[in-house]
Amino acid sequence: MEQIIQQLKEQLIEALNLEEIKPEDIDPDAPLFGDGLGLDSIDALEIILILEKNYGIRLENTAEAKPHFYSVRTLAQYIVSQQDK
Amino acid sequence: MRIAVTGIGIVSAAGIGKEQTLATLRASRSGLVAAPSHFRTRHALPVGEVAPNNEELARRLGIRHCTSRTALLGIVAASEALADAGAATTDNRRTALVSATSVGGMDLTENFFPDFIRDDRSGRLRMAAHHDCADSTIAIARYCGIDGFTTTLSTACSSAANAILVASRLLRHGVVDRVVAGGTDALCRFTLNGFKSLQILDPAPCRPFDASRCGLNLGEGAAYLVLERADETRNPYCLLTGAANTNDAFHQTASSADGQGDYLAMRKALETAGLSPLDVDCINVHGTGTPNNDRSEGVALRRLFGNEVPPFASTKPVTGHTLAAAGGIEAALAVLSLHHGEIYPQLNFTTPDPELNLVPVTRYIRRPIRNILSNSFGFGGNCTALLFSNRP
Amino acid sequence: MKTHCYIERYATSDMLPTDIKALIPDATLRRRMSRFVRTGVATAMCCLDADSESGEAIDAIITATGFGCLTDSEKFLRNVIEQHEELLNPTPFIQSTFNTIGAQIALLRGYDCYNVTYAHRGLSFESALLDAAMQLDEGTARRILVGAADEQTPSQHRIMERMGCWRKHRDGEGAAFLLLQATPTREPSPCIEEIDFPETRLDDDTIRRRYAVEQILRCDTPQSECYPTAVARILTQAVAPAAGKQIRIAVCNNYMEAQPSVIVVSC
Repeated sequence: MEQIIQQLKEQLIEALNLEEIKPEDIDPDAPLFGDGLGLDSIDALEIILILEKNYGIRLENTAEAKPHFYSVRTLAQYIVSQQDK
Repeated sequence: MRIAVTGIGIVSAAGIGKEQTLATLRASRSGLVAAPSHFRTRHALPVGEVAPNNEELARRLGIRHCTSRTALLGIVAASEALADAGAATTDNRRTALVSATSVGGMDLTENFFPDFIRDDRSGRLRMAAHHDCADSTIAIARYCGIDGFTTTLSTACSSAANAILVASRLLRHGVVDRVVAGGTDALCRFTLNGFKSLQILDPAPCRPFDASRCGLNLGEGAAYLVLERADETRNPYCLLTGAANTNDAFHQTASSADGQGDYLAMRKALETAGLSPLDVDCINVHGTGTPNNDRSEGVALRRLFGNEVPPFASTKPVTGHTLAAAGGIEAALAVLSLHHGEIYPQLNFTTPDPELNLVPVTRYIRRPIRNILSNSFGFGGNCTALLFSNRP
Repeated sequence: MKTHCYIERYATSDMLPTDIKALIPDATLRRRMSRFVRTGVATAMCCLDADSESGEAIDAIITATGFGCLTDSEKFLRNVIEQHEELLNPTPFIQSTFNTIGAQIALLRGYDCYNVTYAHRGLSFESALLDAAMQLDEGTARRILVGAADEQTPSQHRIMERMGCWRKHRDGEGAAFLLLQATPTREPSPCIEEIDFPETRLDDDTIRRRYAVEQILRCDTPQSECYPTAVARILTQAVAPAAGKQIRIAVCNNYMEAQPSVIVVSC
């Protein structure tokens, strides 16, 4: 789990071009959207691509997947749960 | 100073020319097809295509040289508009062309580029030469013999509405005596994939303002109005009495929850006309079918009109969302609606969105219309409303 | 057309600091910007920031670009081709829209005013200027931010090289923004007095006579950087040295020998 969290942080920084943010700056439990990292709807689309490209996870229903996008940790948990399937 | 609409030219999935377009709209038919046929793509999504391919369009127009589809569609519509307006009372140097496009000659560029990225010495240059937005405008002006001021606007999906707004300004200032104003956009792989990457394309026919709406269908086409100063014309279709462009200043792609930009555009268009919301008899809404757009536009309608929202409909289920051309196509449809005293129905609507509780016109109605609004909104928070009126 | 556009301030991309974070404080907007959008927006903000003490509203934002956001367009097009239309990043598509610079200025400042973009090759900036002049003239606007930007990219340069464009011209890029007013804040203020579109390129003598100017600045000299909206930056050069006596200058554009224009400015 910790390894996926670390990997996800690096992928987020790269895909979203989060200049000046280092992986250790991202609190895995902080909200990704709104207050925390301040991501928006365009970033959500980029995260969907991270899941698909790197983890082979295809989101069919984005509305249902919304809770998994809360934080880096919930995303990592979602990835693990999908990989176990 | 009053500005008159004296000519209309239109081409879209609903048909080529005014007559075909009206027949499609009056019969409540959709022009959408199940998948694009004029270019190769792996996305089998419904689109509003103009039926003839490039070769057929070029032959029809007697054009032999390499021309982008955007320019071909523009030429079809602009030359119809000029013919419809009749012989010019002034020389062609006093006629301007204000055209809008968002893709320009991308339909050619995207066929040039695969060769070019393999080897930068290859790729047919004549296909890269039409890339920029100005190219289609210059091609239209040349074909139609327009020798006056010529320019191109590009503000995403509100582009053509802005072209019409700017045209009225050129006339008021006496820069020219006649303006051909509107927009053109061809469907291409670039835009289809762009909107696909945004995940806002509905795999089924779009359902603007419906509770079940989940995206838009793209389309292609072109439409132009001929505008002149009203005191110099006889028997115009109608007057362009109001026009406004505002900015939502909320997000690069998403519209605000309070529909501020949409609301301001409609309100200011009414202000420029000196009319009140009660004077509006009909609205051709932007109504793309995306959850976000229709919610913002719906909220803006409620803010401006309260419980008295006039009859409204989106014609995008018929034509698809034609991007930079949409504001021109929908302005042309608004003018026809006003002129013939009829409201074209919105297809595919069944269930009102409980959040908005707005129900569009779903069947063809004949009734006199005094003033009609046409809304066009685009990326970058760009919001434009045009108001056409039967009486001054 | 005769005009009365007083140039209150201007900024060009040459004036930008290396770190533009202070000019574009919004990190989310900044991280999505290509060099082109970043330069254009920063130049606009530079022009506006210098003006912030006035506290007066801007009534319109009018931008111009000949070729638009080439880097983002190319990035998205490449992805479409190389990834066979699958798993495409939406960001370059979103950012490739021609009105991106104008839109980002509106977002940064919360400006809900008129905001349009002209993309008409060598006459993009003149179109924007004409629009601004008409609005100042009719009184629907008092203060307008008008500007232009174009970028040079390896692909664009190579394609135009194959077309033979660089045999007579030097490729270039840049951004320039001007804050125009209907009435001058101080006297004397440089003023754009005419925008004209002659049918052919006029020689110096004809220009001197027709526009009653003492000086001529041309965008198509071999030394000039040649890009569709270069005229905007040349216009700021005309305004720059206004020391002492008042003169009239004609700024002449004729991008790729196709679309001549003359902007007459007194300063």
